[in-house]
Amino acid sequence: MTMLSTVARQELLASRRNRAPQFLIVMFIAMVAVSAMIGWLTNTTVSDVYRQVLAEGYTDQPNPFDSIAQLYYAHNTVIYVVLIGSLMAIALGVQSALRDRKASTADLVLTRPIRVKTLLAGRLLGIAVLLAAVVALGMVITWATISVINGGPLGVSPTVRLVAFGGLTWVFLCGFAVSGVLAGVYIKRETTALLVPFVAWAVVVFVLPQLGTAARPVSLLNPVALPPQTTGIFHWLSYVTSPLSIGENFKTASSGVLDAPLSAFPWASAAVVSVFMIIAVVVVVLFTPAAKLRGGAYE
Amino acid sequence: MTSFAIATHGLTHRYGSHTVLDELELEVPTGEIFGLLGHNGAGKTTTVCILTTLLEATDGTARVAGFDIRTAPARVRSQIGYVPENVQFYDDLTLMENLRFFARLSGIAKPDAPIERTLEFLKFEGHESERLGTFSKGMRQRVGLAQAMVHEPEVLFLDEPTSGLDPEGVRLLRETVVRLNAEAGTTIFMNTHLLSEVTKTCTSIGILRAGKLVHHDSLAGTLGAYPSEDALERAYFSSGTPVA
Repeated sequence: MTMLSTVARQELLASRRNRAPQFLIVMFIAMVAVSAMIGWLTNTTVSDVYRQVLAEGYTDQPNPFDSIAQLYYAHNTVIYVVLIGSLMAIALGVQSALRDRKASTADLVLTRPIRVKTLLAGRLLGIAVLLAAVVALGMVITWATISVINGGPLGVSPTVRLVAFGGLTWVFLCGFAVSGVLAGVYIKRETTALLVPFVAWAVVVFVLPQLGTAARPVSLLNPVALPPQTTGIFHWLSYVTSPLSIGENFKTASSGVLDAPLSAFPWASAAVVSVFMIIAVVVVVLFTPAAKLRGGAYE
Repeated sequence: MTSFAIATHGLTHRYGSHTVLDELELEVPTGEIFGLLGHNGAGKTTTVCILTTLLEATDGTARVAGFDIRTAPARVRSQIGYVPENVQFYDDLTLMENLRFFARLSGIAKPDAPIERTLEFLKFEGHESERLGTFSKGMRQRVGLAQAMVHEPEVLFLDEPTSGLDPEGVRLLRETVVRLNAEAGTTIFMNTHLLSEVTKTCTSIGILRAGKLVHHDSLAGTLGAYPSEDALERAYFSSGTPVA
């Protein structure tokens, strides 16, 4: 067994025994399981109203829900990944980085013949495996729920799309988990280490996407298409903030994975999510000094 | 020719403008139990942290188990065991899970047999599946020794090993250290501020005061120079001439 896998296994074991990550994981899985059901209930309710309206002769238009895509119900999961999944990933990352400091075991680990880079990479690998298992479970539940709603198992194409969505979700969550590790390594107090990435998450998920739309009140208030803007402060504001709006890019990429034909797939959004994760991993693994892991006990 | 498990030359460490360790010159022959005496803040823990490669010295050099701490820190780490003061573990994991992790980090691919041998040596069998969170201070200290010696290191560093232990715990630890040194030939470097501890356990003694080594001799030599514990205590607390 290599050092890398030893640390990764330890990470998995510690996460399995710790109640806080367990609670977050169970909550995430529960929300994923419920999300497709919520979509189905919404559909059923609206369709019932439609049939009533149709029977009373108020419309002769076809029910728009009759032609929805098979993976329509998976769209709700996207929201829960952004809102709950990312917070779960941050908490897992922070807990992992703080574990040795809280348990005062950092010195025991760092007096072993293991390189700091290997130690950190092993931890990230453990978190990545854990998140992969959580996402896989979530996708299996989504597949089963949608199959039940549709009255039969999903076909090959929607299953492949669901798997691709799972992969994208995993990359997205890993990015936030690594951000949590980064905060845990560089911030000594646990509450601050949790708070800082949570605030950063709120900025990239809520504030940055709003900057563009809030700066365009017409777009915010009215569902009308804006004339294309290629100059001016709003254009540049949007130009700068959109690559940083990780949550919005994930939603766009997920929508593409679930519905769009390959020719219309939003590659740029998927690339933004992937680059976010890669940058976070590189910063943590390559640039973290051993002294940071010791918590400055002798500083 | 004497081989030295630990040899330092001009080892110095500063935190800002404060010099914690001042040109330490120390040679500990292989197979000794060396006790480094000093009151709080004398620089004992800093010395151990530098020798175990946890801290990088501001100046000077040192070799541990034949390897330079600056140029071959990984080789040094593979030859040492370390028990910090108030040793802690992953409380949610069992004794076996904790020891497996540290043994594997020390390069032992199949750790169960070495762990069993170590626990047998420490007379600590029967707790393998218990979580560390339930262990007393004395039990934790023995687990600390177990994780430090499972890979049979050449040099074992103990930082204030009896801190917080009851008399029975102190006696057990002392017996274990002496037996480990006698049976496995492990060189032991022990930090302590307890005079009685070094005179009962160690084969050679150093006294560190304000970062300077003011005395270094064998136990017999030390007891010859300071025939009573009072005399040793005076050397420990009063100013003295640093050893050459």
